[in-house]
Amino acid sequence: MSDPDRVNLAFIWDTDSPHFSRRTFMRTMAFASAAGFAAACGSSSKSGSPSSGGPTTAATFPNKPEAKVLNFYNWTDYIADDTIPNFQKETGIKVTYDNYSSNDELFAKLSAGSTGYDIIVPTDATLVKMKHANLVEPLDLSLIPNVVNLDPRFRTAAYDPGNQYAIPWQWGTTGIGYDKTKVDGSVTDWDAFQLPAVNGKSSYLDEARDAFAMALFALKKDPNTTNTSDLDDAKNYLIDLKKKIKQITSDYQDPLKGGELLLCQAYSGDVFTIQADNANIEYVIPTSGAFSWVDNMALPKGAPHPRNAMAFMNYILEPKVGADLTNFVNYGSPNKAADPYINKDILNNPLIYPPADVLAKLPFQKDIGDAELAYSDRWTQIKSA
Amino acid sequence: MTDVETPVAPSEKRRRVPDWLAGNVLLLPTSVWFLFLLIIPTLLVVAYSLGERGLIVPVKFSWGNLVWSNYHTALNPSFLPIFLRSVRYAFISTLACVLLGFPLAYWIARFGGRLRNVYLVLVIIPFLTSYLIRMYAWQFILDGHGLLNSTLGTLGLGSHHIFLNTDFAVILGLTYGFLPFMILPLYASIERMDKALVEASYDLGHGKVSTLFRVIIPTIAPGLIAGVLLVFIPAVGDFVTPELLGGVKTQMFGNTVYDQFNSGNNWPLGSAMSVLMMVFILFGVFIYLRRVGEDAL
Repeated sequence: MSDPDRVNLAFIWDTDSPHFSRRTFMRTMAFASAAGFAAACGSSSKSGSPSSGGPTTAATFPNKPEAKVLNFYNWTDYIADDTIPNFQKETGIKVTYDNYSSNDELFAKLSAGSTGYDIIVPTDATLVKMKHANLVEPLDLSLIPNVVNLDPRFRTAAYDPGNQYAIPWQWGTTGIGYDKTKVDGSVTDWDAFQLPAVNGKSSYLDEARDAFAMALFALKKDPNTTNTSDLDDAKNYLIDLKKKIKQITSDYQDPLKGGELLLCQAYSGDVFTIQADNANIEYVIPTSGAFSWVDNMALPKGAPHPRNAMAFMNYILEPKVGADLTNFVNYGSPNKAADPYINKDILNNPLIYPPADVLAKLPFQKDIGDAELAYSDRWTQIKSA
Repeated sequence: MTDVETPVAPSEKRRRVPDWLAGNVLLLPTSVWFLFLLIIPTLLVVAYSLGERGLIVPVKFSWGNLVWSNYHTALNPSFLPIFLRSVRYAFISTLACVLLGFPLAYWIARFGGRLRNVYLVLVIIPFLTSYLIRMYAWQFILDGHGLLNSTLGTLGLGSHHIFLNTDFAVILGLTYGFLPFMILPLYASIERMDKALVEASYDLGHGKVSTLFRVIIPTIAPGLIAGVLLVFIPAVGDFVTPELLGGVKTQMFGNTVYDQFNSGNNWPLGSAMSVLMMVFILFGVFIYLRRVGEDAL
């Protein structure tokens, strides 16, 4: 990276972090009642309709002429400078670009009704939720021929096998962030939570699936398990661990930066952002494994310009475009064909592009349907233990 | 004669809206407000508490299939420690509010002079900022390198105390947040109190302490009772303060309820917990008013 400004810019996007940030939390709470009410109304009205689970066959999009417009709703600062201008030049489609800063915000907006957006970028778990709530439209892959450029692992991802609903945008991992100056002893795996130095100064995520995955990896079990005895073991592991940690929180960024928390279960992107402010913070992908998270382009139900949206998805999958994006935002690209154009220091960073043996231990969060409730119940028991 | 008189009487009657009607018309906006924002939502919560949980549709309610087991789950003894913790936090906060609020309210009412209204405005000023933002401010004050630790360090009292994410932080947050609700009703009743009563008490040989307990406090009881209710009820159900200032061991019942609507994915259970909480508080308030005397209010 010869241009320092560029690096900073690349890091700035994540100040709002792909998951829950401080600001997000405030906003979430402020709108909690209103959104809750809206959601209640929405879901009760939906309960009458038979459409649950969503269609299984890809919808076909009539070849009707669309206005040369595309409304794109993406995370804050999560795009290269020239991604949109080049697309506009190439296709003549005018792009309106809006931003959000949390999956909750996106979900609340979408479930409140038609938004007029053509592309949204939910993270995998939220995509699954949207799929179940019938908020996203299946894609017509014949309009996205570049889908073959995707790394095969993203074509069969457990949260959306066959890219029925989404084309991945960027990806990362859910591992451990820690302060290397204050945690002596090597942090390589989930058992780092047991280090005496971090006793009472660590946290795990306030997300049932993510926290359970940590326990299941540590116990060498399937992180997507639906086996109740494995889940009970994981529950006991987390209840036990709760005695040693300070908080169960997804709002760990500032405490980790400031030294209130020394070791956190964390999303890779958040930690890279913190590193820009505090070089002592390290990120590690635990050796026994971790979840991969993926932000995905999807088509909201009732999108006014679906064909333009899929043209844009196809454009993003072009090797050069995908590489520019990754070179700018410093995340892993799901686009295999982009590799030759990606900066060497990104490609050689094992935390962004893990070697094959590590990659094999970075599964995706699977859509487990109703078994999610088995997680929820145990999560309540953990939190109230 | 009758021809002249009859048109007058009805027209007078027509001009005058009957009292019962006038009263009801004036009450209409309030009634509509209460109907839509209190009664219907409360009934919805009760209905949800008897529904069946689901993942895609969070609650399925039907008259033919009332699910009473949600109450059974909500009454599981494993939630009891959290519930008792909520009551304990709220009780300590209420007590702290009385101890802090009473002297201040008394001082403003009796010795505030012309600046009385200014002092009252100062009490209310924190309300101009969102409760959440004030709780975040406390995070910065209480955290390891925060204002409190650095002040204590300067005073030579050590700068490595742990305040944030403790019981203390949560109780402090609740006390700070709800203190004005104690001061304002106390002020109102102290201000109305006849100060000749205090002089009379002294004249009749009572000391300061016995004047306080036997004259002042009984006189201002309505304000005190209102203050206690206004602080205790929101404090016992709060979930924002423990979420922001608390840690892994300070979860309150409100957080448990909140979780059921989020990661717990169990709206019916959350609703059943809310209903039980409401019943408990109503019952508690009823007992409390019985004991301290309802005519005091």
